Amino acid sequence: MKKLAKIPLIALLAVLGFFVVTFTIYFFNLDMKATSLLAPYLQKWYDKMEHDHYL
Amino acid sequence: MRDLKYLQYLEDLLQQANNKLIEKAREDGKVCVAYTCENVPEPLLNLDGAVSIRLHAPNTGSMDIATYYMTNLLCEPSRALLERAIEGGFNFADCVITPDGCTMMNRAVENMELLHTMGAGNPNFFHEYMEIAFKNTQNDVNLSVLQCSNHILKPLHEKYGIDISDAAIRKAVAEHNKVCALIRAIGEFRKEANPRITGYEFHVFCLATYVCPKYLLVDILEETLEELKTREPDAKNPWRARVLVVGSEMDDSGFIKLIEEQGAFVCADRFCFGSYPGREPIVLTEDEDALTQVCRHYIQHCQCPRMMSMDKVYGRKQYVADLAKEYGADGVIYEQVKFCDPWAYERTLGSSMLQLDFGYPVLSVDRPYNIASSAGQMRTRVQAFVESIEIKKLQQRGGKA
Amino acid sequence: MKTVEKVVNPVKRAGEQSPGKIYDEKLKVRRRREWRGVKDTFYDYTRWLYLMSVLGRFIIVPRNIKGFFRYRWMMSYLFVPHGMDKFTVGLRDEALRIAHTSFNFVIADVTQAIANCFRGDRRVGNDKAYSDKCVITDENSMVTFMMGFDTDKVHTILREVPTMFASNIFHQFNVMHYLDVAQLNGIAGDVCPMPEAEAGISIDDDFCVLGSCAVQNNTTCDGSLMGNGIIAKRLERQYGIPTFQLATPLRHKEPDVLEYAAEEIKQAIAFVEKHTGEKWNWDTYFAAAKRVNFATKCRIAQMEINSTPYPQFFGAAFSLYNDTNYMGNSGRMPAFVDIDKKLLALAEQGYKAKRMYAKEYRHRCIVWGVQPQYVIDMLYWLVQCWGVVPLTDMLSVINTDMIADEDTPENREQAYRDMAMLNMEMIMRNHTHGGYKVLLDELWELCEKMNADIVMMWEHMSCKALTGMHGMFEEQARERGIHIMWVSHDLCDPRVFTRQAIRDQVNSYMRTVMREEPLDPSLENIPDSEAY
Repeated sequence: MKKLAKIPLIALLAVLGFFVVTFTIYFFNLDMKATSLLAPYLQKWYDKMEHDHYL
Repeated sequence: MRDLKYLQYLEDLLQQANNKLIEKAREDGKVCVAYTCENVPEPLLNLDGAVSIRLHAPNTGSMDIATYYMTNLLCEPSRALLERAIEGGFNFADCVITPDGCTMMNRAVENMELLHTMGAGNPNFFHEYMEIAFKNTQNDVNLSVLQCSNHILKPLHEKYGIDISDAAIRKAVAEHNKVCALIRAIGEFRKEANPRITGYEFHVFCLATYVCPKYLLVDILEETLEELKTREPDAKNPWRARVLVVGSEMDDSGFIKLIEEQGAFVCADRFCFGSYPGREPIVLTEDEDALTQVCRHYIQHCQCPRMMSMDKVYGRKQYVADLAKEYGADGVIYEQVKFCDPWAYERTLGSSMLQLDFGYPVLSVDRPYNIASSAGQMRTRVQAFVESIEIKKLQQRGGKA
Repeated sequence: MKTVEKVVNPVKRAGEQSPGKIYDEKLKVRRRREWRGVKDTFYDYTRWLYLMSVLGRFIIVPRNIKGFFRYRWMMSYLFVPHGMDKFTVGLRDEALRIAHTSFNFVIADVTQAIANCFRGDRRVGNDKAYSDKCVITDENSMVTFMMGFDTDKVHTILREVPTMFASNIFHQFNVMHYLDVAQLNGIAGDVCPMPEAEAGISIDDDFCVLGSCAVQNNTTCDGSLMGNGIIAKRLERQYGIPTFQLATPLRHKEPDVLEYAAEEIKQAIAFVEKHTGEKWNWDTYFAAAKRVNFATKCRIAQMEINSTPYPQFFGAAFSLYNDTNYMGNSGRMPAFVDIDKKLLALAEQGYKAKRMYAKEYRHRCIVWGVQPQYVIDMLYWLVQCWGVVPLTDMLSVINTDMIADEDTPENREQAYRDMAMLNMEMIMRNHTHGGYKVLLDELWELCEKMNADIVMMWEHMSCKALTGMHGMFEEQARERGIHIMWVSHDLCDPRVFTRQAIRDQVNSYMRTVMREEPLDPSLENIPDSEAY
């Protein structure tokens, strides 16, 4: 019974945790900051690819 | 070679947009129909009582006022025409017929209309704009017939009483064909190994047929053709290479002259104001009305890059390759007037296909409207091209001169 | 000169007052997201979560990962939230909701379009059965000729949308590579960069390869028409995909071109039927026609709201939605109807509450010309920095006529003419082509109707149709006492005009000609020119 009573609390904590983490990412723009760090490497990847130029 | 009798006369004539032959036609009571694009069926502008004059602006220098109206981002021909119109250079025109072919030329004429550059004192003066075909289909022929009827024939008849009957169109086509046949016959001499006419001389004669009333040129062309039959070329062939010039609007004979000064003989011309395809005679039959046949001819023979269907896209390159073969060209010069959108793409694809698919050396250049404003750069490009052709020829002969 | 009454906002904006502070010179993205007060920040956060879920659902599919690493333009996929933020700077209340509702829908739609491309792409998903039912169309094209094909049987693939158009919205440098490829292969640098980039993508072999056939169109300009040849040649000769060129008359206001245009539509439909093996369905067509009419009614209502002192629809997000709905959808997808209803309800709510989106409205502005709303969101900036309210932009001023939407024998013939009319009246070309009246006269009529005292004239330096009327705009604006503010740009090539170089032209005009100070000085100079 006690275990069952904890479920809403766990769920609440999980939601709260999800909110804190995602809101922090959202508000401080961490998603885009991480993307901007990744972008130069991706650029190199695409630059290295062989393409069949055809006119 | 001995100078051609009428060359100097026509050179002088072409120094002015409003030339002496136009004045003569006006004295003869002709209606001067100004136009700006090869896609307008010329015979319809040359019905009895009317003459077609394609607008050009020789010796263009400053284009400041036109640049104010259209910015320096539009092609120079469109700005040069507007400038000339504002200066009053086209005051001979009794009407202007403009197809919505390329945007820039269309805008140039719209500016002319809004600025009332022409038609002062002529209550019958009119501007007409027409849609032109995009493809080679019956639907496009139908469109062209309707457009020519609504925007050429009806206004000419209503405003100036021009006879627009089938018989009148057939007569105009016959006269048009006469000029075409003469120009083509003169141009045939360019096929000779040691030709008796230069590309420059030919361009002067051909250009005159666009910018002067044709009926006043027939005698000149006939006499020139006779003269050419006996003209002796120089004993030593002066040409280092034979080139076919392909590209956009070209009413500057100086450009052809510049190419030939570098030793490259311009053996054929596939450009707006040139003889291919513009001087192709129109074959009429009796089993269909003349207007439809004229429209179909213009659609089928049109080599304008604005024609968008792929049969036309591929066909244009094949046409160039066929001409190069027919006239024995060693190479092809693809030219475009700077800022011309249609030819920016056509030149790219054409240059690539003529080299890769047909094996011709290609020089691909953009140019100003008046080559005199940038002759040095162009000379260098052509010189290098001629040398590259010579080297190729040398290599083909195993290095022997 | 004409003046309009200044309208002062009695309500202070929730949250931070100077959104210019969120930009950082060193970072290529924003320092942080904007604080919009609790309610609106939470709303924006939930929309961000939604976007993340859209992007996440896309990338968990293995073939989409494969596509991601194959195509350079997929870089923009990573920057979708960054692009979305660009369109919400300074927004609160209904305007924020309108931006999200409209643009999130577009994002979901484009994401689905990419997924569809990858599914059929010979290099990625290679689902041949699916590909055989796909028809490739131009990005800048009305898809009216697809209105009568059941969407579950024939798939319309606007493969240039994610590749060029959307790609550039989210990452301003993303198409530069393709411009370079095009120019390296000989295309002049002075043509419009949009079709040039598309040609570059084709030359670079960076389009997805799928479909039973392709339909191209000469919609916007000479460059658009000409770029098609390069693309079609590769499709036909290398990939064996037949193409049809749907010719669309330029002088669309002339009645003597309509039959030609209608016949072209018929031929396009026959071409699609031949290559997909599917038949045109009139029930499907007339259902789509009803939705087209509903969208038209909504658009008329939007214009009416924006003619009042409290306009509610502005900004690139909204106009991009309108473009998508009008062109890419053309009534085919029912989902747009709900979004239309929602957007109109939001706007009506905002109008009733007299909601304003700046401290004051000093000027009422028509935005004319071809806009670079892909790389910069000028319209929100304009109202928040200078109090100049953009009432409508040229691309949003489109057809207001109803089309036949009841299935009768007469209407089946009329339908071809309606599709042709819509096709001819596609965004942009309905003003840039068709004679000077649709470009000049309609602008002044709009100024009168919407009580505008300023025209912000986008001067896209490669758009010859627009620049060809430069002097006439100047002279006619002077005659009418309308301020005309020229703002040059080069569409999707930020090397020619950076974002700040674009804004500086407005800054100079407002300071030197109008002798005004900005409403929000933090926005006058934004260090975002190097940002994605």
